[in-house]
Amino acid sequence: MGRKPILPRVWHFASFGAPGVVIYLCFVMAPILISFGYSLTNHNPFNPPAEFVGLENYRSLFQDEQFLTALRVTTILTVIVVVVPNVLGLGVALLLDRKGWLYNVLRSVFFTPVILSSVVVSIIWTKLLDDRGPVNDALRALGVEHPPGWLSDPDLALYSVASIVCWQMLGFCVVVYLAGLQGVPAELLEAAEIDGAGPVRRFRAVTWPLLAPSLTINTVVLLISAFKTYDYVKVVTNGGPGSGTTATIAFDVLATGLDANHVGYASAMAVVMLVIVAALTTIVLRFLRRREVDL
Amino acid sequence: MTTKLRPAAAILASALFAVPLYYVLVNVFKPGDQIAQEPASVPLPPTLTNIHAVLTRPDGLFWVSLANSLLVTLLSIIVLTVLSAMLGHYLARSGKRWTKVLALILLAGLMIPPQVILIPVTEVLRLTGLMATIQGLVLFNVGYYVPFGVFVFTGFIRGVPVELEEAALLDGASRTQVFWRIVFPLLRPATASVLIFLGVWIWNDFIDPLIILGPSQGTTITTGIYRSIGQYQADLGSVFALMFLATLPVLIFYLALQKQFVKGLTGGATKG
Repeated sequence: MGRKPILPRVWHFASFGAPGVVIYLCFVMAPILISFGYSLTNHNPFNPPAEFVGLENYRSLFQDEQFLTALRVTTILTVIVVVVPNVLGLGVALLLDRKGWLYNVLRSVFFTPVILSSVVVSIIWTKLLDDRGPVNDALRALGVEHPPGWLSDPDLALYSVASIVCWQMLGFCVVVYLAGLQGVPAELLEAAEIDGAGPVRRFRAVTWPLLAPSLTINTVVLLISAFKTYDYVKVVTNGGPGSGTTATIAFDVLATGLDANHVGYASAMAVVMLVIVAALTTIVLRFLRRREVDL
Repeated sequence: MTTKLRPAAAILASALFAVPLYYVLVNVFKPGDQIAQEPASVPLPPTLTNIHAVLTRPDGLFWVSLANSLLVTLLSIIVLTVLSAMLGHYLARSGKRWTKVLALILLAGLMIPPQVILIPVTEVLRLTGLMATIQGLVLFNVGYYVPFGVFVFTGFIRGVPVELEEAALLDGASRTQVFWRIVFPLLRPATASVLIFLGVWIWNDFIDPLIILGPSQGTTITTGIYRSIGQYQADLGSVFALMFLATLPVLIFYLALQKQFVKGLTGGATKG
């Protein structure tokens, strides 16, 4: 951008840049700094004054069984949500990568959950997976005498919640992969076919490398949204069944900070969460981008 | 895959995937006792009792939530479009080095989970007297989503020739006029993307209105659904009808602008 700016700089910033920047600073950047500050205190709005406790919150955090559980829950959920919609989405996109009204309609079917509110999705699945809901009714009709308690069994609930998130995110991956598939030149595939490459070989040698940008965008979007999973947990299980079997870090931050008013401690949790998201995103982006450049 | 197998497999996969959607759709039009007995059956004859019950609730929950959701969503996306287009123009056209720093600071905003900032945000809002108000929620939405808008617009503005603006300036137009009359109309695809995505996200948002508007001060569509599932536990028909009515505006919006939706997504996807 070596070009001479066309507007007087100060005026340009003050009138065009400043309004957005100021609101962003007030409602995103300042709160992050405040969170960081709180994380070094024992701030509790109903029990002032707050005292400076240094890194004490962080130290207790990593000895806190509940937080370590939340960390584990979030990790399991994130791995499932990054992998499953990515893999299934690619499969569905390959299946639907044809022209015609039928395929257009089927694409819309997969995309519809993406535009639903996560609250609506959560409620639908809560009803479907209820112990006496239609899913278990169907299983009983098929002869299963004791169908599982999808949401009431502490060993199962987390996987049920993860499946719900996967169901909603699948359509997003499908659409992104379909767009990527459109960018694969037909001549390349034909050339490979003439050279004697079978469908599997053609996919591995031509299509898959060219889908690298789609993989990047899906992985990053899934990673960020999985890591901040809150709505599904709040509506479907409220953190349970039992203690913390489905409580993610995002869920714990608000439960600790807003329900229990331990703002200092919750802020430390939030800071740890932010650091993990930032680190993960940077690493994944760098890794996947390098793959793109190599092609 | 053989030509006959592919459509069959595609239809089967989609049908399996669509079971939850089918489940809601048929039960919106069934009386409550039938939902419990035969949740999977086709509603014959279809009834509008559930929808009628939701629309005529004595507390007007649906209408109040609808009005709040419309107000919050419209105000937020209008302000967001204006501010992010202008900020995008600044980032794209100012040659200063510090705009790169500014762009990075904004980029960081794209991955900040709302839970990290919500507690201090409630205190900032309380301090300014905006907690539990529509304006407070709109301001927060603007701050939180402005990075997304800015990145969509910046890319597009880079594609608009600077000469166009310079020529108009020479002709005596003011800088604001140049932007709104010449540049902004050229950004229509970006504007469509921003309006569609942010519209859907803000309409569907749950956690921010739940916490910022608070329990008593007002309810949006999503928080309204959430709060009414408790009281509606026995009345599944009303739950489904409420969810259906809440989704209808987004669904119509999506079906009408399907091409734009997908174009917006794919534009982002191919560029990364």
